[in-house]
Amino acid sequence: MTPGTTAEPATRSELPPRPRTWPRRTLIVSALAAFTVATCLPAIGGVEIDLGAIAQNWRRGAANLSALLQPNWAFVPRTVQPMLETLQMAFVGAAIAAALSVPLTLWAARPTNPHTPSRLAVRAVINVIRAVPDLVWATILVAMVGVGALPGLLTLVLFDVGIVVKLVSEAIDSADHPYLEAARAGGATQHQMNRGLALPQNLPLFANQWLYALELNVRISAILGIVGAGGIGRLLDERFGFFAYGDVSVIILEILVVVLIIEAASHLLRRRLA
Amino acid sequence: MTLDTRAEAGTGPASAAWPIRLDGVSVTYPNGTAALRDVSLTIEAGEMVSVVGLSGSGKSTLIRTLNGLVPVTSGTVTVGPHTVTGLSGRRLRQVRGHVGMIFQGFNLATRVDVYRNTLVGRFAQAGALRGFLGVPTAHDRDVTLAALDMVGMLDKVWTRAGSLSGGQQQRVAIARALSQEPSIMLADEPVASLDPPTAHAVMGELERINADHHLTVLVNLHLMDLARQYTHRMIGLRGGEVVYDGPAAEATEADFEQIYGRRIRPQDRLGGRT
Amino acid sequence: MSDTLESRTRTTTASPAVVLPPRPSRLVQTVATAVVGLVLLVSVTTLDVEWAALRDLPAAVGEYGVLMFADPDWSRLPRALFEMWRSISMAWLGALLCVVVSIPLGMLAADGVGPTWLRFTLRGVFAVIRAVPEVIIALVLLTVTGLTPFTGALALGIAGIGTQGKWTYETIETLRDGAADAVRAAGGGRTAVVRWALWPAALPALLSFALYRFEINIRMSAVLGIVGAGGIGSMLANYTNYRAWDTVGMLLIVVVVTTMAVDAVSGALRRRIMEGP
Repeated sequence: MTPGTTAEPATRSELPPRPRTWPRRTLIVSALAAFTVATCLPAIGGVEIDLGAIAQNWRRGAANLSALLQPNWAFVPRTVQPMLETLQMAFVGAAIAAALSVPLTLWAARPTNPHTPSRLAVRAVINVIRAVPDLVWATILVAMVGVGALPGLLTLVLFDVGIVVKLVSEAIDSADHPYLEAARAGGATQHQMNRGLALPQNLPLFANQWLYALELNVRISAILGIVGAGGIGRLLDERFGFFAYGDVSVIILEILVVVLIIEAASHLLRRRLA
Repeated sequence: MTLDTRAEAGTGPASAAWPIRLDGVSVTYPNGTAALRDVSLTIEAGEMVSVVGLSGSGKSTLIRTLNGLVPVTSGTVTVGPHTVTGLSGRRLRQVRGHVGMIFQGFNLATRVDVYRNTLVGRFAQAGALRGFLGVPTAHDRDVTLAALDMVGMLDKVWTRAGSLSGGQQQRVAIARALSQEPSIMLADEPVASLDPPTAHAVMGELERINADHHLTVLVNLHLMDLARQYTHRMIGLRGGEVVYDGPAAEATEADFEQIYGRRIRPQDRLGGRT
Repeated sequence: MSDTLESRTRTTTASPAVVLPPRPSRLVQTVATAVVGLVLLVSVTTLDVEWAALRDLPAAVGEYGVLMFADPDWSRLPRALFEMWRSISMAWLGALLCVVVSIPLGMLAADGVGPTWLRFTLRGVFAVIRAVPEVIIALVLLTVTGLTPFTGALALGIAGIGTQGKWTYETIETLRDGAADAVRAAGGGRTAVVRWALWPAALPALLSFALYRFEINIRMSAVLGIVGAGGIGSMLANYTNYRAWDTVGMLLIVVVVTTMAVDAVSGALRRRIMEGP
């Protein structure tokens, strides 16, 4: 670098005053810190951070882990039937939810349901359904209708309906629907508009979320059996109970493979839909 | 523009034209905007009338009071034997069934095929059960196809509306309105989204509908040469008030300057065919 | 446009009865629909479900609804709030851990940041963690560390890394504002690019994802409670086993209200972050 090219400021530049963001920042950071501290206070229900326990458990844990890394392939035949049941539940649940989601979504979106009270009612029900975690639904449904695939299926349907209705109705809300104005001007009823135009027009949105629901179902139905709601989760829970970690790792690997296959297939289908 | 012999063959929509009457109509939107101020008009059955004004002049509101898409704040709107003001539900839909409307943005469901987009014009005629199930009668089908044939779009009947050009989409929209077998045809800036040759073709189509089917045609425009060339009577709107009402061909530049409230600019003319 | 004008002159010579043009073949759709329908039929018939039991379902829902919500047992509310806070704590600490781990890992997995071999390894790890249901990851971890709320938080932290890491590298890769090139052109190295170009641009999105992770964890922590990690989920599973329905009803109300409140607050914060102050 030659001396001539270095820019020498003739006069010292005045730095404009920096906007005062630090009081706000300090406030936000200290609020977050206070919240975090509060979550670590066992006296009020917070989590007791006990690294000592982990250190103590470590030896046993390491043994468990090494057992998990040795899959017992002889166990595979026993997993076929429960795995099939899991897939069936996922598929049937997604199909039932798909059918239910159509009217509910159209009731929950403003362009397809201008009647505010009924729209808000549907949305409220959907929000409550979504606020209850999947395994909580399964626990309660098992207590209500008994152990088996039925409570699992119901859980999946509730979960899927919650997701599809919320996502698709929000997408419909945020788009323009000039064709509905034209149909209204031509004397169509809301039902005719929804059935004849809004549904076919928005079918790709639905299809996309139905596939997503199916993907999620495969994961969820794999664990529903833990609370007695059918599928391979029951076997998983049982083998865990017997500390048969070789069998457990076979089941986990199978779930991994099945989930990846379903996701790949769903990905392909979505690309075709787009 | 070729005259179509189909209408004379008796397959085209045929019904008696209706007159239009506005008595002291004012529209004030909930946000306080006064879109129309004390407008009184009489349009005879079978007239071809343009409503000319800049955007915000109230012409869009005016046309939407005729089929009740915009409720009037005061005054009375009468189309044919019906008083639109105060109508709702089934009675309003019946009246709307007799009033066809086309829009600037075509207002077609883009992912739905041309056939089902056009069938929308038959919705007002559907009985309760067929309307609910969405099943058209053979007569509905014939009227729809005749309307598509009339605008030259029969060969595109299975094409998705979204993949058509702008001019083609507006033709389908005209077919949708025609399949209502209307007594009045409303057009809200029907050519504002089209290139000049296509705009002339669509205006010619409206002219033909007026001449062949003896429909009352009311078309909103902001271009002076289109109003002069294609319509017989012109109503000028400015600030929600009628500032001109007379033969379109005799409207002078001074008249247009009064309607626009400014000097004539080059963009006030479409150009092309004269 | 001109072609349709020509086609119009053609129609004038057509016969009076308008014939519907043949519908294009939809063989692929028809076959696909038939296959899906068949698989569905087979699945429904072979699934071990007594469909007749569905007839009693509405009555059962009504009956249990009354048992749970007609007169919820509010006497155990203090205990429920204590356990709910425990679940919230698990969710929060889990989200914190997940974000702290996944942001650096996710950045390294982004195109143009980490070396290729590391990028592929990390993406593979993320994909595997994503594919295995969170509960199973948690169950495996809990066998290693024992069942406590702390290990529950650890499990949430690790189970979320798969998705969170993916969101992180996808966010980094969608930043196409040229800032990274500018820093590079000014002679900045890899660290400088991350610090001065990618980090400030990605921060709002990453913060927003962190909050979203907290929302997900609120639900997941209740689920982990059911499998024994403590918190509101454990309490709910216990009282469901006792069939103390009035308490279960109260607990459900607590869960629903808390979840919706967290969603609302977190959602509002996320919108604010993404739209800027």
